[in-house]
Amino acid sequence: MSISIASSGEATVEQAVQDLFGAFSSVSIEMLVYFASTRFDPEEISARMHAAFPGAAVFGCSTAGEIVSGSLLKGSVVAMAFDRESMLDVKVDVVTNLKRKINLSESFRSFEQHFGEAANEMKPSQYLGIILIDGMCGVEEKVMDAIGDKTNVIFIGGSAADDLRFRKTHVYANGRSYSDAAVLALLKPAATFDLVKTQSVREMGAELVVTKANEGKREIIEFNNKPASIAYAEALGVPVHELAACFPSHPLGLVIDGEPYIRSPTHISGDSVLFQCSSVKGMPLSLLELTNLIDDTRDALERSKARLGGISGVIVFNCAHRALELEYKKLTRAYGELFADVPTIGFNSYGEQCIGHMNQTATMIVFR
Amino acid sequence: MPGKIKLMIEKILSERSKGNELVEKIIRTKLILKGIDPARYTESSDDDPVIIGKLEKMMQDLPR
Repeated sequence: MSISIASSGEATVEQAVQDLFGAFSSVSIEMLVYFASTRFDPEEISARMHAAFPGAAVFGCSTAGEIVSGSLLKGSVVAMAFDRESMLDVKVDVVTNLKRKINLSESFRSFEQHFGEAANEMKPSQYLGIILIDGMCGVEEKVMDAIGDKTNVIFIGGSAADDLRFRKTHVYANGRSYSDAAVLALLKPAATFDLVKTQSVREMGAELVVTKANEGKREIIEFNNKPASIAYAEALGVPVHELAACFPSHPLGLVIDGEPYIRSPTHISGDSVLFQCSSVKGMPLSLLELTNLIDDTRDALERSKARLGGISGVIVFNCAHRALELEYKKLTRAYGELFADVPTIGFNSYGEQCIGHMNQTATMIVFR
Repeated sequence: MPGKIKLMIEKILSERSKGNELVEKIIRTKLILKGIDPARYTESSDDDPVIIGKLEKMMQDLPR
């Protein structure tokens, strides 16, 4: 049983795919996941990856930086291959036109047909879902909500990115590149697995309750019956004109059983505050401050390792906010080293998913 | 009929989790992410049609 990884920083798609093909030449691949910089033409990389690994379920997405055991990369492609002993079965489907209407019925019908089991009867200990979704579609929370209605299986993943250009992101499957779409993969791994959600924040003790919001726009109009920007600034103890500068270090979080589901603010519009994840009227959001990202991530990995008794592979969906924080604090190398001893791939994302959609978080699949 | 929301939440939790505590915790998290905190609803809570609509959608996918 094996999980193998490879990466390439070759100049062309053809050379990069050839690199990966060579690295995996001895593996009988059941499933291959890859994450690639938008430096590589989206249509071409998806077509060539599909052609290079016939018979395998091949899927991936575009990034804002890639992660491979020991290093954080830029302008590369990273891949993880699962042989038939490590991945018992997998079914991949693509949901398109997300901004128009979110309809997952066909995808879940295809999962049920493939595995011969009703989606709402599948056990989350046996099945695992991966979601890779257009990071510019703005509807990740709605897709996760719809998935959650269909099944108890946990879907985990990240929002595709485009090297911080914020123009167009891509998800890859079936040898094609898609935008305004999500790749859903339902997996039946051979070994046990653990899902990690880690974020480096703590509550500051102030709570802002959403009293008026425009969910579709991810806009909060009022907190505590006051204009949102004024209430947020008051809670932080800063003048409103300094609020936006505090956003990266003081996001808000919906705290459930002590676990924050972070909502990162992006900008102020009038008196409203816009976020990268919507919040619902009545939702209590806690004011947060940053903690030590390296220590917290190391602890999360150690706890997962202790739960599983060993790790054979990790897929990381790491928020691009976190990557920028690591760069600013000159901790990029230290972060990469956290994954040095384990076969790991991942990417810097425009949003993270695990049960729901969130920001400023790393979600991880850890395989025993 | 006040209290309908609490009844609907209880039905969803029991039929989807089938007694599995981990699954029940996952479903509670999903409900809170939808803006429905199970702990806030009692037998006398008002029947908010928006919340009932969200729960009805969730009930469509319950195991049969």
